[in-house]
Amino acid sequence: MLSFIARNSIQKVITLFFVSVISFLVIHLAPGEPSQVDPLNPKFTPEMVERFRQQFHLDQPLTIQYAYFYRDLFTGKTVSWKDNQPVLKKVWERFKNSLWLFVVGTLLTWTLSFPIGIRSAIFRGGPYDRSATFFSYLLISIPGFFFAYVLIIIVVTTLHVPVIDMETFGLGSPPWYRWVMDRIWHLLLPSLLGATGGIAVLSRYVRSQMMEVESQDYVRTARAKGVPEEQVHYKHALRNALLPFVTMFGLILPGLIGGSVIIESIFAWPGMGRMAYEAILARDYPIVLTVNFISAVLVLVGTFISDVLYMVVDPRIRL
Amino acid sequence: MTIRKILIIVPALIIVFLLQSYFWVPTYEQQSRGNPDRLNEYITASIGDASLLNPILSADSASSEINNLVYEGLIDYNEDLRFRGRLARSWKIYEEAFFYINDNASVPSMGKVGPEQIIELLLKAKKRIPPSNPQEKASLENIEEIVLLPAKEFVITRLEKEGKTPGQPKEITIRVTAPPRIKLVLKEVDQFLFQSLSRILGEDYFRTFNGEKYVRITPEIDPVKRSKVVQEALPPTEHNPVIIFQLRPDVKFHDGHPFDAYDVKFTYEAIMNPKNLSPRLSDYEPVKEVTVVDPLTVRIIYKRLYSPALGTWAMGILPEHLLNDEALKKEAIQSGKDPDKFSMRQSRFNRHPIGCGPFVFKEWKSDQYILLERYDQYWEGPPHYSRFYYRIIPDPLTQEMEFYAGTADAYAVRPHQVERLKQDPTYQSFSGLSFGYSYIGYNMRREPFNDPRVRRALGMAIDVDKIIEYVLFGQGERITGPFVKQTDYYNKYIQPLPYDPQGALKLLEEAGWRRNPEGWLEKNGKRLQFTLITNSGNELRKAILTVAQDAWKQIGIDVRTDILEWAVFIQERVNKLDFDALILGWSMGIEPDLYQLWHSSQTNPYQLNFVGFKNEAADDLIIKIRQEYDHDQQVAYCHRLHEIIAKEQPYTFLYVSKWTAVLDKRIVVKETDAEGKVIYKKITPTKTGNYMFYFNRWIKLPETPLFSGEG
Repeated sequence: MLSFIARNSIQKVITLFFVSVISFLVIHLAPGEPSQVDPLNPKFTPEMVERFRQQFHLDQPLTIQYAYFYRDLFTGKTVSWKDNQPVLKKVWERFKNSLWLFVVGTLLTWTLSFPIGIRSAIFRGGPYDRSATFFSYLLISIPGFFFAYVLIIIVVTTLHVPVIDMETFGLGSPPWYRWVMDRIWHLLLPSLLGATGGIAVLSRYVRSQMMEVESQDYVRTARAKGVPEEQVHYKHALRNALLPFVTMFGLILPGLIGGSVIIESIFAWPGMGRMAYEAILARDYPIVLTVNFISAVLVLVGTFISDVLYMVVDPRIRL
Repeated sequence: MTIRKILIIVPALIIVFLLQSYFWVPTYEQQSRGNPDRLNEYITASIGDASLLNPILSADSASSEINNLVYEGLIDYNEDLRFRGRLARSWKIYEEAFFYINDNASVPSMGKVGPEQIIELLLKAKKRIPPSNPQEKASLENIEEIVLLPAKEFVITRLEKEGKTPGQPKEITIRVTAPPRIKLVLKEVDQFLFQSLSRILGEDYFRTFNGEKYVRITPEIDPVKRSKVVQEALPPTEHNPVIIFQLRPDVKFHDGHPFDAYDVKFTYEAIMNPKNLSPRLSDYEPVKEVTVVDPLTVRIIYKRLYSPALGTWAMGILPEHLLNDEALKKEAIQSGKDPDKFSMRQSRFNRHPIGCGPFVFKEWKSDQYILLERYDQYWEGPPHYSRFYYRIIPDPLTQEMEFYAGTADAYAVRPHQVERLKQDPTYQSFSGLSFGYSYIGYNMRREPFNDPRVRRALGMAIDVDKIIEYVLFGQGERITGPFVKQTDYYNKYIQPLPYDPQGALKLLEEAGWRRNPEGWLEKNGKRLQFTLITNSGNELRKAILTVAQDAWKQIGIDVRTDILEWAVFIQERVNKLDFDALILGWSMGIEPDLYQLWHSSQTNPYQLNFVGFKNEAADDLIIKIRQEYDHDQQVAYCHRLHEIIAKEQPYTFLYVSKWTAVLDKRIVVKETDAEGKVIYKKITPTKTGNYMFYFNRWIKLPETPLFSGEG
């Protein structure tokens, strides 16, 4: 076990190094300049552009820039080029906002997919299963932004209440319970939208897992013994079907960062995804690279957790 | 079975809990009833967030929108786009002109003369019967005072780079024994002064002045550079326009500190400070010095004639007491940073600005909102709204939804959205011309665009009116030249090119292009063929690209098109002058200074006259416009320049688009009449189309008011 952890960590550090190099190169080799060095602004003389480039170390060779960037990152001194704010502080603020979307979205995904998937598996081939299949594929194929627009337009034009942003603007200072409820209302649509894709996919997984387990011999034996149908489904089949999902838990970690660029932009949600997206547009390299680095770390940590979890729940696995 | 129950009840509970929150959220109508304060708030939605709330550092539109509310400039533009005083109560512009006594030149009928005789001559000329030449007459009458400055010696040391090779610049010492000089104080700025004087002092008097012999440079530098240095140290003639601002007394910054002339000087110095990397540096480069005459008077002397200079003082004034070296040093030490490297760019001031504008900065949540509050001590009387929210909503459709839901009072409404809202009795809508235009530019260095007939024919083949009607939903107007259409610099008598494909063919035939049997235009066996490019991400330009390609194909021109990513488009094609024709747009300021865009000296790679427009008459006018301080004269020059450009057609000028805005009808202008009675008026745009001009008097009412004369 310990040797596994040690071996695994070393591997992951090496991977992380390569990720950092590649993401650094991708960003710097892409055409375009940081928006503060906009060369087509007639007010910018070439000398000024040059001075900006010096300030950002853009005139140095890439290797040196790389060293500068990661030195600053690990000492916590990176600042955004756009507004000179410390990057880590910005990331942390945005992370807190994204966290809510993530929590509610994950909660919806994981609580809804199981009943839907299990029922599909039990009554496979029936009208319920067919319509569940239909809607799953519909939700998987429908573009997220389009679905978001449709939902927003329907809600606003029929209910006449605001849905964008984290809270209703111009509310003044309402009592705390109203404030909380208002926040929850604003969480509802974006987290639901974030969850739809997940629900569609995950309920499919649950269905196929359940079906696979239900065709196992021991399930047939249980039935033959006269165990009540419900107990067969929920005690014998479900428990074993759950195994692969335990590992998926670790893999949702990177979703904390990457999963919500579109939804956050549409809903004007001040989260991580939106910050990263806008940083890319403005070529704000420190932000882009920091977010990139953090998500790489999260992916690696996520896979590590998955491995460990699998080992814990399934004693047959030895690492 | 419990597991089954849990599996069903838990998600059901979660969903019910989430859904019930709907009942706590107020609708459009309930918002102002539940919170009457909402009527005193103005919420505007913007696509992008501000970056730095410091007028000398920011270059983006979101930041400047906030800066305009928090800071106040010395002057700004009034309803007619002419200047009016803000922090400056009044201002005066005059000129000090200098020239060195030229002991080489001989003055007509007097021969070589010394400084005293020159002065005498000028004084005599002034008193004499007015000369026949009106320009000379005006120049002489304009002279208020003539002063003789005795000869003097001075030493300049400066760093000079050697050639183009990088390396340590070396220090050179310039020793100047300057001859006597004459200073003329003029009532008004006169760019033709020396032309007029040379009628008296002789054609060659200024031209033959040779500074070389008065200058010694150690160590020696190469002759080309030497003559440049001499020219700078001892210019034969010099115009020094002077602006004197009288500042408004009793104006205070939001923190209570009084505003005075030292703040103006400080703002100028902050821009010039290379550590601050101010994007406005080039605007203030022509300034020679800023002096505080007394706490309410600033004198600004310019190095040369530069008429756009006055407009630069519309920029917000910074509070010196919060940003001077001492304050910055203190902040650096407090936040544990190196005080030597710490500049205004790093200061927390940029996120907590303090100015003397109508609104006080309160709070800024990145990518969420910026909150401003009314400044009760605003010198012109506080605004009616007590709070100003600047919300950041990156998506145009959701902006519209927030507007419907009542949580935004204004947003950047699109033309097609205006159509939808026009009929709705709840809203009022505005539209006006924006400051900018779209065009097709031709690379005039290349065949066949070096022929003005071809450029004209290409323009005539495109039906711009159709583009405006179908691509812009009618939200645009034709434009014929490079000036802002609603200013008087724009020559309104110039007609746009007619849509006339047959006429275009005739013009092309004159230029030697004839249709071959296949229908393509040909000259000397070569087909008329080129590539039209534009940047990706702009749907309008993409549509125009297709329309133009089709229109040109119909008269037999083989047009290829290409859409490139912005950075590639600019860096690889525009900057390197590697294109045939392109579609782009310019957004403009009000000042009619066209030097960077149209002067022949700006046609090199990486410069903005990338189409390569070179015209002597135009160059002359561009310089004259830059140097002219008299508005009417400037307008006359602009009209002539406009004519030349319209005749040459270096661009096919397409259209100027209209901005549109929608507001709740309950937002009105509130005024108090002489008897102290409150009256409400409908918001009306100014002549130049600015509906926000009286923003400080806006307020939102609980009900839509009925205006007299309106049922």
